Amino acid sequence: MLKYSLKRILLAFLTAFIILTLTFFLVKSLPPVKVFSPQENVRYAFYMDQFKLGYVTYFTKTAAEVDAGFVPNVAPLDQMKIGDEWFYFYQRPIVEQYFSWLGNIVTKWDWGRSTAIEPNASAIRIIAQRLPASMSVNIVSVIVSVPLGIAFGILAGLKKNTWVDHTISTLVMVFISIPSFVVISFLIYLLAFKTGWLPTMWPTPDQSTRTKTLAFIIPVMSLSFGSICGYTRFVRAELCEVMSSEYLLLARTKGLTKNQAIVRHALRNAFVPILPSILAEFIGIFGGSMILESLYGIPGIGNLYIQALNQNNPDYNVLMVDMAIFTTVGLLAGIILDLSYGFIDPRIRMGEKK
Amino acid sequence: MGSSTQESEWGKRNSMLEDKDFELLDESPNAGEIIEDADISKDDFVLTQVDSSVHEQKFQTKPTTFLKDSLKRFGKNKSSVVAAYILGALLLMSFIVPLVDTSNTKVAHPYETYLAPKLFKAGTGFWDGTIKYSNIAVDLSEMPDAKTEEEKQLHWWPSSKKFPQRSAISKKVFTEEKYSNDISNLGTFGKEGYVHFGYYESEASDYVAFSSKAIPSLVLDNDLYLTSFDTYDANKIREKEGKDSFNAPDNYVVGESAFYFLYSELNTDNVLEDKEIKLVDYATVHNIGSAVERLKEEKLNISDIIKNETGGQTEFQNASFSVRLNVEHEHQKNTCALIRSITFESASTSENIRNIFNDMSFTDATKAMTKSINDGYEYWSSTGVRRIYLSKAHFCSFVYDTYEAAFGVRQIEGEFVSDLLTYADKGWISFKDQFGLDTVWKDDSGYFIDRTNYSFKILDPVNCPLAKEITADDFYGDDVFGTLGVKFSVHYYKYLGYTKAPIYLMGTDKSGRDMFKYVFEGLRTSLLLGVLTFAVCFTFGLIWGSICGYFGGAVDLLMERFTDILSGIPWIVVMTLIILHFGSNFWTFALALCLTGWIGTAARTRTQFYRFRGREYVLASRTLGASDARLIAKHILPNALGTIITGAVLMIPSVIFSEATISYLGLGLKNTSSLGVVLSDNQAELLTNPYLLIFPAVIIALIMISFNLFGNGLRDAINPSLKGED
Repeated sequence: MLKYSLKRILLAFLTAFIILTLTFFLVKSLPPVKVFSPQENVRYAFYMDQFKLGYVTYFTKTAAEVDAGFVPNVAPLDQMKIGDEWFYFYQRPIVEQYFSWLGNIVTKWDWGRSTAIEPNASAIRIIAQRLPASMSVNIVSVIVSVPLGIAFGILAGLKKNTWVDHTISTLVMVFISIPSFVVISFLIYLLAFKTGWLPTMWPTPDQSTRTKTLAFIIPVMSLSFGSICGYTRFVRAELCEVMSSEYLLLARTKGLTKNQAIVRHALRNAFVPILPSILAEFIGIFGGSMILESLYGIPGIGNLYIQALNQNNPDYNVLMVDMAIFTTVGLLAGIILDLSYGFIDPRIRMGEKK
Repeated sequence: MGSSTQESEWGKRNSMLEDKDFELLDESPNAGEIIEDADISKDDFVLTQVDSSVHEQKFQTKPTTFLKDSLKRFGKNKSSVVAAYILGALLLMSFIVPLVDTSNTKVAHPYETYLAPKLFKAGTGFWDGTIKYSNIAVDLSEMPDAKTEEEKQLHWWPSSKKFPQRSAISKKVFTEEKYSNDISNLGTFGKEGYVHFGYYESEASDYVAFSSKAIPSLVLDNDLYLTSFDTYDANKIREKEGKDSFNAPDNYVVGESAFYFLYSELNTDNVLEDKEIKLVDYATVHNIGSAVERLKEEKLNISDIIKNETGGQTEFQNASFSVRLNVEHEHQKNTCALIRSITFESASTSENIRNIFNDMSFTDATKAMTKSINDGYEYWSSTGVRRIYLSKAHFCSFVYDTYEAAFGVRQIEGEFVSDLLTYADKGWISFKDQFGLDTVWKDDSGYFIDRTNYSFKILDPVNCPLAKEITADDFYGDDVFGTLGVKFSVHYYKYLGYTKAPIYLMGTDKSGRDMFKYVFEGLRTSLLLGVLTFAVCFTFGLIWGSICGYFGGAVDLLMERFTDILSGIPWIVVMTLIILHFGSNFWTFALALCLTGWIGTAARTRTQFYRFRGREYVLASRTLGASDARLIAKHILPNALGTIITGAVLMIPSVIFSEATISYLGLGLKNTSSLGVVLSDNQAELLTNPYLLIFPAVIIALIMISFNLFGNGLRDAINPSLKGED
């Protein structure tokens, strides 16, 4: 088990590393953007930091030389006059930048600097600021959706082919098929604007606790609809399979009541594949829903992603870290899923060769 | 799975053949007996079937193929069949609607914006092109004072700016809301309406709000005083106006609250005439530096000034009222006295003064309430706190027929004589008098009319847009110089060039596009994208998975690691990177979706190949010398295909979903409509015109639901063992 776990984790690390490297090269090969600030000294400070971090090089010319008609051969990334000197900043080759980047991550935990959202702030710090909002919404929605989903799934599975099952299954099909942004839009429209019961936007920190609490309802609803449906479907399918198995028949023949058989045998076995996905769901709280966050104005990392993609002044460094978060969360959830299978049922080795 | 069904098929056939044989034997007389020492001659044998041989005989039961069997199973799943029909209908419509519907969605139709969805006749109350508005402001500034319900019904209308066609308004219901206490919280003004600014009747002091809006009637009272105003920093004005240097002009006006008095009255020719009273005298007397202080103390009796300026008149009907201060500055070039706050103080609380401050629109009130003091002026002030006292709001709820408003009879006024002459040229109308001479004509210097012989006839009432005849009085302007204007009413749909007023099933959007066509065009793009992606991903995934699964070993390991890495990248990241690099159009979208889309198919194919490649029939074929390609294509793939396809079919809805999501985030297709683009275009209209979102949302939900149901049904039919799993 230990060997298997280590192998899986190592493999995931390798995968993450390759993906992040790929992302880095793809993002850096985009046309470079200047730091978004009209003030020269802010830009100067930014580029000097970038120089120290190993992403740009520069050379200087005196004002006299520039006045005499000096024009650089290659158009610089940015140029400015500080004091009596002209500074010409150039991007270093992408491969060099890549190694600087790796070095900075390992030595300083510096994942790059923001260029537009909060110029010269560490991107990882910006992410850290935004993470709590996303996480709080996600945690509540997981807490709400997992028990509800399991409850509906058990209900539908036990009452298979009755009206209860049909109603639940139909609703599940409908809600799984309607895109989340449609659900969110109409939730906001109905619950916030039309009736005025709930706040129309995510509240600012200075608003009352009541507003802040109420503001959770729409995001949690919109996030949990999908996952309630997912769990319901999953639990129902597993339970249906177990219910028709021979060992359950044996349990009944041996004299157990129906309830005893369900609790002791059916549910326990049905939960073998369900439990890992619940654990993986908990990893998902580190992610953020872009649509929900941008529609409801939640200052989370999903919203940050959209902000960083702003067409007028994109912030590719923040975008890259955001991408890294999404990738890592996905991979981590995968590992947890696979490993917990093994812990819960030692016969299973997900991803091993048959 | 496929193979086992086939095996049983063969078993059935064999057993049928055997039954046949036994039947034949049973017919012989001594069946089952063992006859020893029997004398059997050649004649004892009788041929039972002379004319045909057994193997050529048709089966008694119909043979069934795997596909037919699946189809039968599919047919039993009612919901999937319904889904398939809906899917088919939507598919068909997405191709037929854009071809049949002739309206152009590429250009804007400025006269047909925001038409509500219409299917039934107007007045049915549902899907009839009308919109029900509730609690809309009644524009009392234009309306006479109505007391009874009948008068209100007759004379009160919602703002003509927002609802220009009064003929389209029906079922008016008026409500009045009174705010008995003072309102200082803006949140109270949640709705539109007109507010009355009342008197503050508390013990503190008597303040009256000042409104620059029209006042229905103004009776000047001797007790009306202007008691104070402040100076205003000219630097701020400079900032606001964006001028480099500021020289206060002698008629400087800032906004509506400049110190200026203007009233209109009917002159002898029954035409409203603007008169203005300049308070120049007053301002020029005092230079700025000292004036301010003095003015603050001094009480300026407006009614006296007005009386002087108007020659003693004290009563005005329908006067509009605003105040402006004219300043001549001599000493301080950069300081200009402008009124920032005006407070009227009254010695008595007579009704007359109260009426002056009636009827400010909610919008103006809100503006006034929210206006920052630094803007240079404000509407009223009472010790710095802005309040509306004893306010009253009139609301109107009504039904607005958007089609009547857009296409109904409308009055046109202006220099449109050329239009009329065009109609005359087309033979729709005629201006000819009894001698056959045109009474309205055009020459080089302009348009002219012969009023004495004027004659007008509508010749073609079907095509002619005119709603009623035009008389000579409808023409106005200068007959001599040829600058002729005209006033006439038209059926606007004919005026726009339609022969019949159009009906839009899903309404129109902000640029007047027919949503019905736009949505189905979008659906077509989305489906095309889905099908294209499906085709590419399916083919590639199949090949990749086949190679992986068939050869196994090192090849498989290597290829698997590759897919592991690729599938580790979230799809949104892939989409973003592709769009950033190549821009967003149909083909980059397809590329981005294909880049990771094939992984699912490849994985499924690989599993299936692992399952089948060890089977005996494959081994047998290999022993006979079949090549790898033949084994893959002829033996393994046909058995595995059902499972793979059913899994892959669900890729189409997921592509539609991904495309819609990414478009909704604003990274969507440019210059092409897709369901996501349609939805994201109208995202902002959710509160005002929800139908613009409801229809595309319903369509996308419908297509997703039916695709999912259809896909599940297909899977259940082809792989009955997977039934119930999702």
